[in-house]
Amino acid sequence: MTAARNILALAFTAALLVPAAGMAADSDQKTVGVSGNVAKLCVLGEPTPASVDLGQMAATSGTRVGRITAIADQAVTLPGSFCNYAGTQLTVQASALLADDASPVQPGFSRAVNFTSTVSNWTAAPAAVTTAASESGATPSASAAGQTQAAPKLANLDLVLSGFAAPSDALLVAGGYTGSVTVTLGPSATP
Amino acid sequence: MKTLLRASILALAALSAGAAQAADDTDSVGPMPVTGDVPAMCSAGAVEGGDTVFALGVIVDTATGFLLSDLTAPPKTLAASFCNTRSTISISATPMTAQAFAGPAPQGFSNAVDYTATASGWTDPAARYNTGEAAHPDATQTRPTAFTGDITVDVSAFTTVGGNTLRMVADPLYQGLVTVTLAAVS
Repeated sequence: MTAARNILALAFTAALLVPAAGMAADSDQKTVGVSGNVAKLCVLGEPTPASVDLGQMAATSGTRVGRITAIADQAVTLPGSFCNYAGTQLTVQASALLADDASPVQPGFSRAVNFTSTVSNWTAAPAAVTTAASESGATPSASAAGQTQAAPKLANLDLVLSGFAAPSDALLVAGGYTGSVTVTLGPSATP
Repeated sequence: MKTLLRASILALAALSAGAAQAADDTDSVGPMPVTGDVPAMCSAGAVEGGDTVFALGVIVDTATGFLLSDLTAPPKTLAASFCNTRSTISISATPMTAQAFAGPAPQGFSNAVDYTATASGWTDPAARYNTGEAAHPDATQTRPTAFTGDITVDVSAFTTVGGNTLRMVADPLYQGLVTVTLAAVS
């Protein structure tokens, strides 16, 4: 309501000014500034697929029975990710796959599966981190930052999970396993 | 007009601020779940050395014809056996019987030998099966945790089926069978 009143008041004032200006010259000029701003933004695309299921991870026959089998690299795309400002970096935080069964691990067994998470397409060198959980599942988390991107950038980021391995190549305890990966795009800690 | 323009700009700036709540200079996705599973499984290792026979040799006292009372055989090892979850170990055995001799043993003779088979190293107490007993309460033992290691299979306590007053009929091969089973328990 206040704004509306101001506008009305302005209109009235302008009407009064017109004859006065007309009296001074046959033309007049006023400059009105137009300004705006754009906030610093980083937006990551929706991860596709949104989750990774490795399925059955242990060899069930042969010389490696009970130990981790060869697991193919897993790719996740974050399409249309961007930062509209310079000086940004990726951070990858990963948590090793841990068995849901948290009971004490027996000698010769592991309840952890480590892996490497690599995010490429942001800088020349990818951001990569490898988890280093122990057989008992201790210290499952790992984090690493990538290089600094010196310009605003729009890209499809590729996250690849690879190198799945059990600590000491131990036998894997039975059951479901869960881990995670978090990708963060933001200002570089070392611009 | 100035005031009007300014009002418009303010309105736009306010709108931008509203949109900015959804995005920031930092964005994060995750934690994205990574899942997998390992089925419950057991593996009884191969018999170490590849020799799967308890060779007792001559089982009778050649002077009397009675079963030797001190028969022994070196134990067998099932190396690098494992179960990756709670498990049971079971052992069963069949009496050693004369393979070539046909028909029932004549009076005063026996054609079979009972014994006790034991699988140790997996549980305490060990799994034990006596072929001469009707019930075998110790034949199956449960281990509450995953385990990997060697299982030692032993045969002992040989006795003549029918009693030790019987002599053994002659035969080139007395043979029985010992079976050890590991099973995952959910």
